[in-house]
Amino acid sequence: MASFFGRFKGNGPASPASSSTPAKKDPHLPQPTPLEKLLADAGPIRGDGSDKFFGFENFGSTCYCNSIIQCLYYSVPFREQVINFPSRSPPEALERPATGPLPRLNTDISPLANGLNSSVSPKGTTALASPNAASPRGKPTTTPGAVTNPQGTKPEDNKDSPEYKKKMAMAAGPVLTMDYENSQAYGMSESLFTSLKDIFEAVIAHRSRIGVVSPNKFLEILRRENEMFRTPMHQDAHEFLNLLLNEVVENVEQFSKQRVTEIADSDSKSDSNPLSVTSTQTASGPDRTSAISMTGHNTGWVHELFEGTLTSETRCLTCENTSQRDEAFLDLSVDLDQHSSVTSCLRKFSEEEMLCERNKFHCDNCGGLQEAEKRMKIKRLPKILALHLKRFKYTEDLQRLQKLFHRVVYPYYLRLFNTTDDAEDPDRLYELYAVVVHIGGGPYHGHYVSIIKTPDRGWLLFDDEMVEPVDKAYVRNFFGGENVLACAYVLFYQETTLEAMQKEQEAEDVAAAKQATEVHQEPLSASLPKQNGFTNGHPLQHATTPVAENEDQFASLDHAATAPPLSHPSHHPLESIVTSIPILNPKKSNLQSKTDKAQRAKEKKEQKAAQKELEEQTRQKRKEMEIKRRENYKKQEEDMRAALTASKLSAKLDEDRRRKEAGLPPAPEDDDLFSVHVDEKEKEKDKDKHHKDKENGTSKGGGLSRFRPSSMSIRHKPKFWTTKDKEKHDSAMDAGDQEPPLPTTPLPHTPGVETEGTTPIATPDKPEKEKKNRFSLGRKKSTFHL
Amino acid sequence: MFSVLPPPPRYPTVGYPGQPGGGPLIETNNTLTHPTGPEHQLVVGEGTYVLREDLHLATPPPHPSEAPVHNPNPLATTPSPPSAGTKLSVVVIAPRQQSYQRLYRLDTSASTRSQVPPSIQESPHETNSQASDAGSHSANGVAPSPMDGVHAPAFGEGNPLLSLVNGKDVKDPLKRRKPKSNIVKSNSSFVSRVIPHEALSKRLQDHSPNGLYAFANVNRALQWLDLSSPTKEEHLTKILFTKAHAICHDVNQTTKGPTHIDVIMGFSTGDIIWYEPMSQKYVRINKNGVINGTAVSDIRWLPNSENLFLAAHMDGSLIVYDKEKEDALFVAEDQAPAENVAPNEKERKVSLTVKKSVNSKNQKTNPVAYWKVSNSKINAFAFSPDCRHIAVVSEDGSFRIIDFLKEQLLHLYTSYYGGMMCVCWSPDGRYIVTGGQDDLVSIWALEDSMLVARCQGHNSWVTAVAFDPWRCDERNYRIGSVGEDCRLLLWDFSVGMLHRPRAASVRQQRNSVTSATLKVQNSRTNGSTSRLRSNSNLTAASLDEEEIVHPVEPRARTAILPPVMAKKVDEHPLCWLGFEEDCILTSCANGHIRTWDRPKEAAGSDDDEPSTTSASVSASAPASSA
Repeated sequence: MASFFGRFKGNGPASPASSSTPAKKDPHLPQPTPLEKLLADAGPIRGDGSDKFFGFENFGSTCYCNSIIQCLYYSVPFREQVINFPSRSPPEALERPATGPLPRLNTDISPLANGLNSSVSPKGTTALASPNAASPRGKPTTTPGAVTNPQGTKPEDNKDSPEYKKKMAMAAGPVLTMDYENSQAYGMSESLFTSLKDIFEAVIAHRSRIGVVSPNKFLEILRRENEMFRTPMHQDAHEFLNLLLNEVVENVEQFSKQRVTEIADSDSKSDSNPLSVTSTQTASGPDRTSAISMTGHNTGWVHELFEGTLTSETRCLTCENTSQRDEAFLDLSVDLDQHSSVTSCLRKFSEEEMLCERNKFHCDNCGGLQEAEKRMKIKRLPKILALHLKRFKYTEDLQRLQKLFHRVVYPYYLRLFNTTDDAEDPDRLYELYAVVVHIGGGPYHGHYVSIIKTPDRGWLLFDDEMVEPVDKAYVRNFFGGENVLACAYVLFYQETTLEAMQKEQEAEDVAAAKQATEVHQEPLSASLPKQNGFTNGHPLQHATTPVAENEDQFASLDHAATAPPLSHPSHHPLESIVTSIPILNPKKSNLQSKTDKAQRAKEKKEQKAAQKELEEQTRQKRKEMEIKRRENYKKQEEDMRAALTASKLSAKLDEDRRRKEAGLPPAPEDDDLFSVHVDEKEKEKDKDKHHKDKENGTSKGGGLSRFRPSSMSIRHKPKFWTTKDKEKHDSAMDAGDQEPPLPTTPLPHTPGVETEGTTPIATPDKPEKEKKNRFSLGRKKSTFHL
Repeated sequence: MFSVLPPPPRYPTVGYPGQPGGGPLIETNNTLTHPTGPEHQLVVGEGTYVLREDLHLATPPPHPSEAPVHNPNPLATTPSPPSAGTKLSVVVIAPRQQSYQRLYRLDTSASTRSQVPPSIQESPHETNSQASDAGSHSANGVAPSPMDGVHAPAFGEGNPLLSLVNGKDVKDPLKRRKPKSNIVKSNSSFVSRVIPHEALSKRLQDHSPNGLYAFANVNRALQWLDLSSPTKEEHLTKILFTKAHAICHDVNQTTKGPTHIDVIMGFSTGDIIWYEPMSQKYVRINKNGVINGTAVSDIRWLPNSENLFLAAHMDGSLIVYDKEKEDALFVAEDQAPAENVAPNEKERKVSLTVKKSVNSKNQKTNPVAYWKVSNSKINAFAFSPDCRHIAVVSEDGSFRIIDFLKEQLLHLYTSYYGGMMCVCWSPDGRYIVTGGQDDLVSIWALEDSMLVARCQGHNSWVTAVAFDPWRCDERNYRIGSVGEDCRLLLWDFSVGMLHRPRAASVRQQRNSVTSATLKVQNSRTNGSTSRLRSNSNLTAASLDEEEIVHPVEPRARTAILPPVMAKKVDEHPLCWLGFEEDCILTSCANGHIRTWDRPKEAAGSDDDEPSTTSASVSASAPASSA
């Protein structure tokens, strides 16, 4: 059902924007946009925000932000966590744009009307509520953020152009100007997280299903705290995604840390905020540990959703010693090959790699830099797999980034081949649900849009202010290739099940079939009067010659070509079928001699009997096989389980041994929570981080230092260099890169990043490094095979 | 290629929508080049395949009625019409010899590969036997598969209405019936232009009966080529269609002759054209989509049938048409009388919905039969060599085996992930090979109804698979596959020498027969099976659902097969592959047809070398990619 209307629209004879009802051209009656048409049958608005389709205003090159926020909004578990952390705020507790006397807000019906109006189609609401309803579309509204409207005929006057559609979306509204913040109500200090939450809350709370968000505050905070995004330049969407996820992690962790100290300080100190009181009360175990565990459980959700674990195995070629190290990642950055698939990119990611020459490996066992083999495999699969296709590649010759237009195909469903042997659920099925597309010839300019699968409205294109339903096949337009400016840049896959997949495919298919029959009938009826001569409607012609001889069939076709259209066009072709049967049938059957018939029947019977017997045999055989197979399977399964536990045990022993050597306590039992192998190390790391946060709490807020965790992927180049080389290169790169957005070379002071690739085992004295490693893992292949 | 209904096309240069820009603006000629060098050689165990030539088919300019789009919006949401890269339908006029049967059906254990028959044979896509042959060889007492025990009847044999229609043709079997309309003089708006070669009749005379004719689509053109001619770059006939793209085509191997070739083409608009190139006559079927309005993704003549062909439409329908019957607006028939029909809405997923049975009383007009396989786009199908089954692969990742004589679904498998794109049968009908969007070539056993192995080595989606009948015997099989990664991969698959997956190797199965070992690896019956509960009102004819639906095999329990050869053979994504006696043919999305000569006989000894050894030592082979 979901994409039915959208497809119908797209397949119509006319162009999509002006598709249906072209008969009346009343300027005062704006035509419904494809999205409005899609939502025409919507029921009451839901509280979870799953039926909200808001565009985002572009404040000049902020499409990187818009596209990513949209993807995150439609990452259902992420959205739920955002609005539920620290706890679900009652809508009335929050300031809302509706209360402000904003001129651009054209929906100001009192909250009372909320329930009543909810079932009204968005179109109706906006038309009714819009202050400038008289000419909401005819006249261009000047909006502060939008491109100033030029007079005369411009591309945006073309109704099919995205510019026009965006303008119309802005004009139609409602526009949620997010220039306020509710962090107090959340009991948090203002951060990117709170402003993201503000946006989500506002969108969910609004009565309208469609509209435009102006994320003023969000951008303000982003720019205040991150120098890189201060310029009006084009930014890297993946970089932003990474930053945002890290910020959210940090904000959330900081909040719970505060909460813990608050609890520890005193229970008497009653907060002015009723909200935090409740949360304190629920958590108010007198002992701190329970509070920690509570907050620990609460704050881990970003990790729970996006984080996976990579195991990098390094085998020193000198001493044959193999060292393993786990690294967490929030997204994977993969190198691209021309004419490849995402599957193959991921496989390449995990291919064995030689560490030699400048990338030599520091072996703890034999000491010093040695040649080594390294491979990275996925040990724990994330729930949401964010795949960053490294389309922006640094070219040494040009001393800058260049966009790769390689054709890289991505399937709607995915499984990972590059898992470790002991990975849990290595056959996990992922479904593609969001694609961030970069349009443009290079990394320093262009545009980002996102194409997102919504749970019940199919695929939608989010292009800043504009939201438009698209065909499922549309998603495949962005594989890339020569002369293709628009290519996928970040892919979001989420875990799913085979059953869910089949269910969804069935639903999709039904919609497609419905549409097919619908459209199939339309042109047919339309073609009848139009086409005369050669293609004159055959059903009609057929009706006139019900008992045509075989030879005559084609003659009659020729005949029809020149004959004038015959009499009543209302004659239903079905009738011809009905009439032809009785005439044809008796005649033919009478022709058969009775003996003939009997003989044939006998033959048939025998044949049937033989076949039946055979069938029965094969069936029996198959059944037996099936039973055998099942038994075998059971046995096998048991064996496997036994083998698995054995290997786990041995792995644990190994681990313990290693730990003993390293002077650490034995590894804990598997974490029940989400079966992560997050061990003590990880927790210590976190603690360390907290400490660190405290130490440079304020300084951390500003400037580039924020970036450190973000972007190992693009920085992978320096990763394998020895410190000396790296510093040299850094300065070179800094010099070469006038434009800061993409390269994001690490600060020269940043410790650790460069040695990450060569540090086999996390040593306790390098906790910061560990922390950084968690995010956005990519790899640069030193030997790259094209 | 992927959208459901074609609005006015924009002529994507590659087989996918959304490509800006069209082809060239003027009509150009095909070009023939002879690239040489080591990068144009394929080194395999049996010797070296050398690139003979590269024939580049000219992409036609857009039709004048199509305004060229300058600076197209890369985000345009208008669906593009389906299109396809160049595919070939190859035909040799000389009659085949029956030794083809001997090659695969011998019950001796000795390899017969060295006795390759001198005759030229079709690619393994084509079915090999006349109905009578099928009967005779079963009389020999050789029954490799249980289905061979019974003589395979012709499709629709049980329906007297159909046999009568065919009966009329019998009176003069040598004189084939031609279509009615002349395509050159046609004033149809469907056909834009037909360009026959100036010396067409002379070239036809010069054509050796053992030479190769090919029909190849490129963009909106279809070209008839003589691949054995010294001037092969000059087409025999080129047909330009106005809007529609010929997505698929097939040549009837039963009716071919020195003066007659029956070609069937399926179009992006849903139309089908029966074309006879010698007389330049044609007939349009399913005109404007009266019977089914969705594009035709694959089309093939029914084995041994003069008139019937099967078309896969993109809405998941398989429709049997008669080339000589007229269209009629199709209304699904509620088939009460036919015993083998189970039109149960709930069971749509598990059973075949027969919208019109071949046993229908109304056989005056097309369609002859109409089956709804699924609601998802069918990407390809293939007839089994014994002419009983069809293997159908779909965009939703499903792979079905249908007994089309009984109009019944036998098996339903699912890909590892992603859509399935191509399918073919082994020459002996025991194995089926599929390729898809999981970058895998998968081998399935019909008899054991299970996944045998997954072949890993492609770097992108697999677009075509084919068996090399000249390098297959009863135990060893040579498979070729091409993909979006521009590469050709060759696989040697041997029944006994599969690599055991990790889990399977734990078990002690040393002494068991190979096939038993294979069965052991078969799968669990997980939730997906139990979810699709069988309804009690299914007729007795239908099989148990648990036997039909097969779950996805986990990776840990499946054998992995590495390629014996992997090489980039084109600059563009490949879309078709064919094996001939003297060469391998590949074609790409951009219109390049490349011919790779088989190794010269000088080696000689290669026939003794069991292909299994090459399979087992070839773990490093994938690295040899270009």
